[in-house]
Amino acid sequence: MTAQKAARAPRARASDTVFAALVHGFVTLFALFCLIPFWLMVINSFATEASILRNGFSLWPEDFSLYAYQFLFRNTRVMSHYGVSVAVTLAGTVMAVAITSMFAYGITSKKLKRGSALSFMTYFTMLFGSGIVGFYLLVVNWLHLKDNIFAMILPYLMNPFYVFVLVSFFRTLPDELAEAALIDGANDARIFFQIILPLSKPAITTVTLFFALQYWNDYYLALLFVDDYKLYPLQMMIRTLISNMNAQQFIQGSRTNYAIQVPTYGIQLATVCVTIGPILLLYPFLQKHFVKGLTIGAVKG
Amino acid sequence: MGSVVKRAKSNFFIYLLILPGLLFLIIFSYIPMLAHVIAFKSFKPALGILGSPWVGLDNFRFFFRGSNWLRVTFNTLFLNALFIGFGLSLAVAVSLALNEIRRRLYKKLMQSIVFMPYFVSWMVVSFVIFAMFNASEGLMNRFLAGLGREAVSWYASPQYWPAILTFTSVWKSAGYNSVIILAAITGISGEFYESAEIDGATRFQQLRLITLPLIKPTVIILVLLAIGKIFFGDFGMIYGIVGNNTLLMPTTDVIDTFSYRSLLQNNNFGMSSAVAFYQSVMGLITILAFNAVIRRVEKGAELF
Repeated sequence: MTAQKAARAPRARASDTVFAALVHGFVTLFALFCLIPFWLMVINSFATEASILRNGFSLWPEDFSLYAYQFLFRNTRVMSHYGVSVAVTLAGTVMAVAITSMFAYGITSKKLKRGSALSFMTYFTMLFGSGIVGFYLLVVNWLHLKDNIFAMILPYLMNPFYVFVLVSFFRTLPDELAEAALIDGANDARIFFQIILPLSKPAITTVTLFFALQYWNDYYLALLFVDDYKLYPLQMMIRTLISNMNAQQFIQGSRTNYAIQVPTYGIQLATVCVTIGPILLLYPFLQKHFVKGLTIGAVKG
Repeated sequence: MGSVVKRAKSNFFIYLLILPGLLFLIIFSYIPMLAHVIAFKSFKPALGILGSPWVGLDNFRFFFRGSNWLRVTFNTLFLNALFIGFGLSLAVAVSLALNEIRRRLYKKLMQSIVFMPYFVSWMVVSFVIFAMFNASEGLMNRFLAGLGREAVSWYASPQYWPAILTFTSVWKSAGYNSVIILAAITGISGEFYESAEIDGATRFQQLRLITLPLIKPTVIILVLLAIGKIFFGDFGMIYGIVGNNTLLMPTTDVIDTFSYRSLLQNNNFGMSSAVAFYQSVMGLITILAFNAVIRRVEKGAELF
């Protein structure tokens, strides 16, 4: 913050004015580069199919309509895919946050003799992985989770990176807190639930959002373990929509022969928009906590 | 013995907290590592890992003799190098520029916008890229047509894809990295700037002589962390965007996508395992080597 005070020092030089202009120009351009794809997706999802076919995706479509959304919700299975995504994200996030924060607090605890061994055991998984074969055999052949919703939940329940984000946060809490509570007769459970957890709200919120984002955006687990399209999450629905398009293009070389009634582009755009919708709606909240979490010291992992 | 029981009793709750996480590590991280032995076997699902016959280094011989080895290794390293080089330099530039913006509201707005792409899934990104580059309707070809140029069939021209993927990677992650670097900039004491101001330094001189040197450690850590993962391609990104398009594979097939296809499309467990084993070992070697380098370059910043 003090840096900003210095920045407001009164003497303005010509070179500083030029520099400021360059800086503003650069940031604004880069921000536009980041923003334009979002704008194109959202605004064109409200365009009529005819206007997209005539002009392609444009910054401001000629005609607007809600037809794509009506079609999407009436004639496709989008709601059931939405249900899968919501269920996976909710169940996964709740369990993952519980397991990860419990484990992180456990290995931080001074009472534990083998805490550092556990912490190395966790760290080692970041250095040396099992590769896809072991992972695939585990889920499909040993746990028998093929085409089971848990195949999209269980593998992400704990992530060493978030364990260490929480560990580094728990380490910042003063030991005196737990000691004082111990003297007052609180047991470990009370200390954890009534003292540590409430104090760790910012860190836990950040980790919760990281997990939720990971579950919501993931298609890898569904790609590996789900063949039943009824169990597809939204991300896989988008994949199917694109590859259908791709195939059509590949075979016909053009879009000529599909029936005009089906707003192909409109549906794709509307699906993409309902997929990123929750993220865009929660964005101010998400962004604030991610920035906070990254600043906590997540860099070092 | 008595003290062990007593300790176990008094630590019961802590053990309870650790148990689910420990089970997770064992089941999802350590047990699958056993499957690395498949790399040295001719795996038949019906016989199981133990029952399948040993074949020594045959799987590796097959992988290293073919042309795939060089291609996927080169693509993985080359693409990651492009992503790290362009991504981080842009992130540094963006964070320095953001720091120079004095109007707080504008700065916050800009920061929010550049961070936004990080939150989007690779499938959505893949859709945007398809909308840009598909042959008949894509924005790029419409744009080229507007200039009177001939259309390019992007999805059949591998030579363009390292550039397209680099653009995509920069778009998605520069904002995220710039937030991390900006946090380091905010941590710099204002006194440096105040005394520089008194000595008559311009804003640009302050940036070059104070800010840049002081964020160097953070940037070095980001670079080294990324280099530590250089043998791991971003499967979510590359498979999401390229999928099974064989025409693009000369420049986009990375170790991870190759090992995925060996397993799920060719059912070649041995090959896929050999590739994964090769990747895990190379990954481990890189990270150990770079940890030693960090220890030299930035004492205290090493990972372990």
